[in-house]
Amino acid sequence: MALSEEEHKVLEGIVGPQYITRDPIIMESYCQVWGNKLEFGDKWHRPPAAVLLPGNVEEIQAIVKFCNQAGILFKPFARGFEYVATYLASSRGILLELKRLNRILEIDPKNQHAVVEPFVPVYQLQDAAGKLGFYVGKPGVGYSASCVSLACCHQEMTISQLYTSGYGRNVLGCEWVLPTGDILNLGTANRKGGWFTGDGPGFSLRGILRGRAGANGGHGIITKCSVKLYPWYAKAPSECELKREPGQALSAAQLEKVPDNYWVDVLTFPDTERMLQAARDIGQAEIACLVAPAYMNTGFHEEGNDEQWAKLKESPPDLGKFARMMPVIVNGHSSRELEYRRKAVRAAMEKWGGWLEPEWNTEKVKAQIFQYQMWSTGVPGLRATGDFMLSTQGADGSVEMQLAYRPVEFQALQPFAAAGNVLHPNMGMSYRPMEHFSLGCSGGIATDFDPWDPASLAAGKEYLEIVYDPHGPCRRFGYANRGAMMQVEDVNHIHERWGPIYDRADRWLQKVRNMLDPNRVADWSAYIPPEYQERPDEERHACC
Amino acid sequence: MTWQDFIHDMQRCTRCSYCKYIPWRLIRNFRFSEGCPSAARYHWHAYAAGGKFNLAYSLLQGAIDINDSLLEVVYKCLMDGSCDIACKVQQDLEPLQHMQEFRVECVARGYLLPQHQPYLRSLRAEDNMLLRRREERGYWAEGLEVKRVTSDKAEVVFFAGCRYSYDQDLWPVARAAVHLLQRAGVDVGILGADEACCAGRAYELGYEGELMKFAEHQRDTLATVARTAGVHTLVTACSDCYSTFKVLYDKIGKKSDVEVCHITQYLERLIQEGRLRPRKSLDLNITYHDPCHLGRLGEPWIHWQGREYKPVGTQIWLHDPPKRFRRGTHGVYEPPRNVLKSIPGLELVEMYRTREYAWCCGAGGGVIDAYPDFAQWTAAERLEEAHEVGAEAIVSACPWCKRNFLDTAAITKDRIGIFDLVELVERAVGGSE
Amino acid sequence: MALDDLGRIVGEANFTKNPAALQEYCEGKGGCVPRALVRPASTEEVQRIVEWANDTRALLVPVSSGPPHIHGGSTPSVEGAVVVDLRRMDKVIRVDKNNRVVIVQPGVTFGHLQTELARQGLSAYLPLLPRPTKSVLASVLEREPILMPSVHFDSTDPLLCAEIVFGTGDRMRTGEAAGPDTLEEQWEIGKAQISPFGPTQMDPQRLVSGAQGTIGIVTWVSLKCRQRSDEARAFFLPSEDLDALVELSYHLCRIRYTGTILLLDRVNLARMAQRTPREIHGLQCALPNWVLFVAYEGYGLLPEEKLKYLEEDLRESASSYGLEPVTDLAGLPGEALYRLLLGPSSQPYWKLRSHGGFRDVFFITTQDKTPYFAKRMRKLARRFGFPTQQLGMYMQPVVQGTSCHLEFNLYFDPTDLTGVKRLRRLEAAAVDRLEREGAFFARPYPGWAEAAYRGYPDTAAMQRKVKAIFDPNWVLNPGKLCFPPGSGRQD
Repeated sequence: MALSEEEHKVLEGIVGPQYITRDPIIMESYCQVWGNKLEFGDKWHRPPAAVLLPGNVEEIQAIVKFCNQAGILFKPFARGFEYVATYLASSRGILLELKRLNRILEIDPKNQHAVVEPFVPVYQLQDAAGKLGFYVGKPGVGYSASCVSLACCHQEMTISQLYTSGYGRNVLGCEWVLPTGDILNLGTANRKGGWFTGDGPGFSLRGILRGRAGANGGHGIITKCSVKLYPWYAKAPSECELKREPGQALSAAQLEKVPDNYWVDVLTFPDTERMLQAARDIGQAEIACLVAPAYMNTGFHEEGNDEQWAKLKESPPDLGKFARMMPVIVNGHSSRELEYRRKAVRAAMEKWGGWLEPEWNTEKVKAQIFQYQMWSTGVPGLRATGDFMLSTQGADGSVEMQLAYRPVEFQALQPFAAAGNVLHPNMGMSYRPMEHFSLGCSGGIATDFDPWDPASLAAGKEYLEIVYDPHGPCRRFGYANRGAMMQVEDVNHIHERWGPIYDRADRWLQKVRNMLDPNRVADWSAYIPPEYQERPDEERHACC
Repeated sequence: MTWQDFIHDMQRCTRCSYCKYIPWRLIRNFRFSEGCPSAARYHWHAYAAGGKFNLAYSLLQGAIDINDSLLEVVYKCLMDGSCDIACKVQQDLEPLQHMQEFRVECVARGYLLPQHQPYLRSLRAEDNMLLRRREERGYWAEGLEVKRVTSDKAEVVFFAGCRYSYDQDLWPVARAAVHLLQRAGVDVGILGADEACCAGRAYELGYEGELMKFAEHQRDTLATVARTAGVHTLVTACSDCYSTFKVLYDKIGKKSDVEVCHITQYLERLIQEGRLRPRKSLDLNITYHDPCHLGRLGEPWIHWQGREYKPVGTQIWLHDPPKRFRRGTHGVYEPPRNVLKSIPGLELVEMYRTREYAWCCGAGGGVIDAYPDFAQWTAAERLEEAHEVGAEAIVSACPWCKRNFLDTAAITKDRIGIFDLVELVERAVGGSE
Repeated sequence: MALDDLGRIVGEANFTKNPAALQEYCEGKGGCVPRALVRPASTEEVQRIVEWANDTRALLVPVSSGPPHIHGGSTPSVEGAVVVDLRRMDKVIRVDKNNRVVIVQPGVTFGHLQTELARQGLSAYLPLLPRPTKSVLASVLEREPILMPSVHFDSTDPLLCAEIVFGTGDRMRTGEAAGPDTLEEQWEIGKAQISPFGPTQMDPQRLVSGAQGTIGIVTWVSLKCRQRSDEARAFFLPSEDLDALVELSYHLCRIRYTGTILLLDRVNLARMAQRTPREIHGLQCALPNWVLFVAYEGYGLLPEEKLKYLEEDLRESASSYGLEPVTDLAGLPGEALYRLLLGPSSQPYWKLRSHGGFRDVFFITTQDKTPYFAKRMRKLARRFGFPTQQLGMYMQPVVQGTSCHLEFNLYFDPTDLTGVKRLRRLEAAAVDRLEREGAFFARPYPGWAEAAYRGYPDTAAMQRKVKAIFDPNWVLNPGKLCFPPGSGRQD
C-alpha cells in the first residue's frame, strides 16, 4: 500500500527530497535479489512503498518515530545483497538504505577496537585496520558486507573464526535506534570512557541484540558499533601487490607470496574424522589463525564458467580429496613463534596420518589460499548458476556431533545431487572451527542449484523441506541455524515450527520482539512475527 | 542480441552491487573505490548496472512501462563499462551489452531523450554530433601541410573525428598529431571536409541505425582510399572513434580491411623504431587517465554465437562453443604509458583507478549533452583523484576527456594541468608549430 | 498456598525457617534476614519453587556459594524473602575431555571442579584465587574475570550453555543444549553443549550473566576448560613504573600471548603469597610497587618447544619496555605463586589474612587508565585517612585486552568501628567519583548500583522491560541492579 501524500511529505521533510523516492521504477530495483525464486517463487519479492537514505541518527530516529505514528513498517539495510535485507512483510513498508552512514569513526589500536557506521564494508575496515597492524576477520560473504550488519544484525559466520570469532561475539558496544525511535546504547557505547564493552551495567542486553544470528533489521537500526580487532602481522590488503600475467583477467590478480609472518600448509587426511581430529588438536593448541577443514572452494575459480569447466576436464580433481583437505594458516609476531607454530601444525598432521599434497603446497597456491582465506573475497559461488542453495549451515557443535550429522545431511542431499538437480562438487561438508575449537565448529553445505530450472528448483525446495522439517532427520541437531537465519518467517515458518521443540525459544523471542516494538512497525519478516497467523494445518508444515 | 536475450543475466544478477565499485581486491583507497559514476552520484540501486537488469526484467515481465523516470535512469549513465569489468571479476554476465540493447529498445519504441535530439539531427543533417555545419569540418587542418587522401596517395589516414574537427580549443592536438606523424616520416593524409562522424556516440545513445549507416559509409570510404590512395592504416587520436572503428564496426559486421590504430599505439611504434625521439626533458609529475573507449571499451570485439547449456549431471551454465567474455583485459593500456615513460623528466604516477577499472571522465554515453552537471561532477571526481596521488597534470588520450576536464576545471577553478598525450610528445620531440 | 508448602517440594529436611540457619544469608552489604530457606535438589524442584513464588507473590533470592557473601549480590535486599540455596545441586555432570567442556551444577566449587578436571588432565579457567566456598557457576555468571586474557574472547567466557529457570518457572536451555532431547540423548549424537549461541536470534545466557539472579535461576552451566600441564613457567615483571607494565600488558594482549597475565601491586601480591599478617607485612615491604605476573603451561603440541619460545619471546618483549622477567621475587618463586592460582584460595581467604576484613571496589575500564585510577584511588584513600599500605590493586586484562577489570581492595580491621565507618565513606566516595571519571561498574552490586546506573538510564529502562518478560511478577532477587524493591510488581 502506497504512502499518502502527507506521509511522504513528512518523510521528505526529514531526509530532504533528494534522499527519498517512491518512484515505481526505482522501487523495482529494491525487490530483486538472488534467492527470491526459491523463497518467493519469482525473481521479485514485495517492493517497498518508498526508499529513504537517512544521513544521521537523528534523521533515523525521526523516521522511526513517524513510522510509529503513522503505522508504517520500516526496515533498515546496509548493503542489500540478501533478500532478507530488502524483503518487507507488508507493502506499506519503507526501506532505509544506510549508505550515507559510511564512516569509520575510530580505530583504537591500543584497546583493539574500531567504531564504525553501518555502510562501512568489512574490506574497508580490514584495510584501514591492517595499516595499523590489526585484522577484522574474513566473513563468509563478500568484500562489501557491512561490519555492523555482520556483528549485530545478520549472521557473521567467518572463515577465520578459529582466531577472530564471529556470530556477534566481537561486539563491544553499539548505538541502537529501537523500533520506538528511542536510542539504546549498549555498554559503554557513546559514554565518556570509550566504546570498550557492550555488557552492562548488570546483565548484558547483547542477549536481545542477537543470538546465533541477528534480527535482520527486525528490531531497529544499529547506527554505530564497536568491534574487536585482532593482530595482523602483514601489510594491509591495499598495500600488497597483486600480480597477474600479461593477458590475464583481473580475477587472476593475486598475491605471489605468503607474507613473512604467516605460514600456510594445506594438509590432507585419510578421512574426515582424522581431518577434524587434527583440526581440533591444532585449534586447542591455540596456534593457528585459520583452520578450514574441507573449505577450499573460494580459492580456485577460473575467470568464467567455461574456463572452469575446461580446467576440470583437463585435470579432473579428486573430489573426495577436496573433502579431506584442510588449509591451515599460522602467524607469529616473532620468527620463533612462527617456527614453533609451523612445527606444531606438522606434528598434528603426522599424529593424525595427514600429508602435504604437493600440488596444493606450492608457493603460488599457498599465496592464493592466504589471499582468499584471510581477506574478504567475492561470491564466485554464485557464478555457476546465479544462485546457490540457502546453505543449511548444518549444525554447530563438537567434532563428534559433526561426524554424526554429516551422513544425515548427505542422505538428504544425495538423491538430488545424484539426479543432477543440485550441484555439490565434493559432497563434503566444510567446517569452520571457532575460538581455538573451544566453541566447537560450524558445519555447512553450500549447494549450487538453478532456480530457473524447474527440476532444480523443485529439488532445492524438497531438499530444504527435509532439513527444515522439525520432525525430520535434522530434528535433533539444532534449530539455532536452520536456514542460517536466511529464512523468511512468513514463508517457511522456522520459528513457528521449531520453537515448540526447542524449549519454546520462539515464544521468548516473540515476547522480546513485542516489547521492543509495541506498535509493530519494525519489519519482522526475517526475525519473528508479533504473533503467528492462523493457518490450516497442512500449510503449517510447508516450508517453501 | 536484443535486450530480451539477456533474460538469463537479468535473472542471475544477484544484487551483489559489485557493479558499483571497482573490483574490490584492487581498491587502494576507499575514497576512490566507486567505479560507477551514476550509482555514486544518484544513490538509488536502479542507477547501477544491477538495477538496470532489474528494470529490464520488470519491463520484460510487464510490471512496468517505459516512462520519463525510466529514461532518466537509463540515460544518466556514462556507458563507460566500469560496471561490466567489475561484474565480470565474479560473474558471467554482460551488463554493458545489456544496457546498450536497452537503450536501443527505448529508441526503437520511440522513447527518445529530448536533450539528445539536436545532436541526432546534427548527425543526420551535417554528419557530426557537435551541432556544426559539414563544411566546417576541415577547418582544423587549415594551413597544415598535409595530404588529402581523397586526392593524394598516402599510407596512413589520420582520422580527426568530430570533436577534434570542430572544437577549436583542441585543434592544436590534432595538428600536433599530424605533425608528429610527418616528423617521423609517416606517409600520412587526412580526409578533411570529407570526413564524417563514426556514429559511435549515437550508437551509445541507442541509435543503432545511425551506427549501421555511418559504419557502411566509413567502410566504403576506407575501401576507396585504400584503393585510390594506398591507405592501409587509420590512425585516430580520438578514443571514441578508435573504439567505434576497432570494436563496434567489427561487432556489427562492418569492419574495414584497413588497420585501425590509436595515436598512442602508433606513437609507441614510432618511438620504438627510433623514428621519433622524445629528447627534451619535461619536468612534470603527471598521471594518466585511461579513456574508457581506449581502455576497457577498446578491447577487440569477441564474436560468439552459440547456446547456453548445462552439462549432464550438473547445474553449472556453460556455452557451446565456449564463450570468451570481454573483461577489458585487452584494452589499450600499455602503449600510452610506454610513450609517456619514454619522455625524459616525466614522472608518471598512477591513480587509484586505472586501466580496466579507470573512472570515467564524465563525457560518455551522451551525458555531456543531456546532463552536463553530472558530466562535470564525474570529471571533478577524477581531477580530485589526480590531485590525491600528487599529480601536477592529468594526461589523457581522447578529446572528449580533455574537453570535459577543461570545462570542469574552469568551473571548479582547478589549476591542475590538463593535457593530451600528443601534446607532451610534441613538446618532448620539439619543433612544434 | 503457605510458606510451608515449600517443604513439600524439597522435603522437610531441606526447608527451614530457623533464624539461626537464615543468619548466614544476610551477611554482606546491607543484607536483610530472609524468612525461610529452601534447598532444592533438582531443576524440577527449582521450577516448582518459582511457580510457588509466582502463585504466592513471594520473593526468592537464589544463592549458589557458601559464606562469606561478600558483594551482596545474593543476600536479600528486602525483608521476607525466601533464600533458594542451590548448594545441594553440586554435581559435576560431565567432563568431556576431547571437547574440553565441563557441565556443573550451582553447588560445585572451584576446589571440587579442579579435582574432577585434574583426573582428565584438564583445568578450569579460574578467577583470581576465589574463596573456597565460591560457586563456579556463580563466579561465571557474575562475569568474574579469568586470568587468561588471550582466550577470553567474550565477557561471558568461559560460559557456554546454561539451563535456566526463568522467573516464570519456565525452563530453557541455551545454545546447543536447547532442543527436544535430554542431555544424555544429546550426548548420544555427539553433542557436547559446546556451542553457546542462541538458540536463534537471542542469547538468553547473556541475560542471566551479570543479572545477580534477577532474571532466572541457573541450574547448570557448561563451561569451556583447558588442557593442563605440569610443565609451567612463571615470571614476575617487577617495576616501580606502572606505565611500563601496562604497556607490556597491552603488548602481550595484542599478540595474544598465551597463559596467565595479571598486574598486581605489592599489597595484594603479599596477601596472596603469605598467610600471616607478619609474613604479609615482611613480603610487602620487600616487594616493588608493581608486578606484572605472566605464566603459561606446556599443554598442546610440542610442549618443550612451546615453553622455550614463549620464554624467549617474553624476555624480548619485556626488554623493549625496559623490563626483565624474573622467576623469583623477594624469595617468592613464580611457579609457586602460579600453582596457587590453579585453585581456590586456601583458608583463610587471602583477602582476610592481613586485617580480617576487606572491601572491594572494581569496575571495567581500559588498561591505559590504570595508572590514573591507581593515583586517584590513593588520593581518595589519603583524603579519607585510609592507610595506603592497606590499599591493594589488581588489574586483569579481559576480552583479549580490549578492556580490563580494575580492582581496588581495602583491607581493614572489622573490629575497628571508626575505621569501618571511614572505610564505608571511602568506598561510597570512590564508586561515586571513579564512575564520574569513566569507570564502568559493569557488575553493580548493592551500594554501587545507583552510581553505576546513573549515566545509563537507557540501559536501566530496557533491563526493566526485559525483566518484565522473564520475571513478570518480579519474584527474583528484588532490590538488585536497577530493580528497586517493590517496583514493577504486579500485585
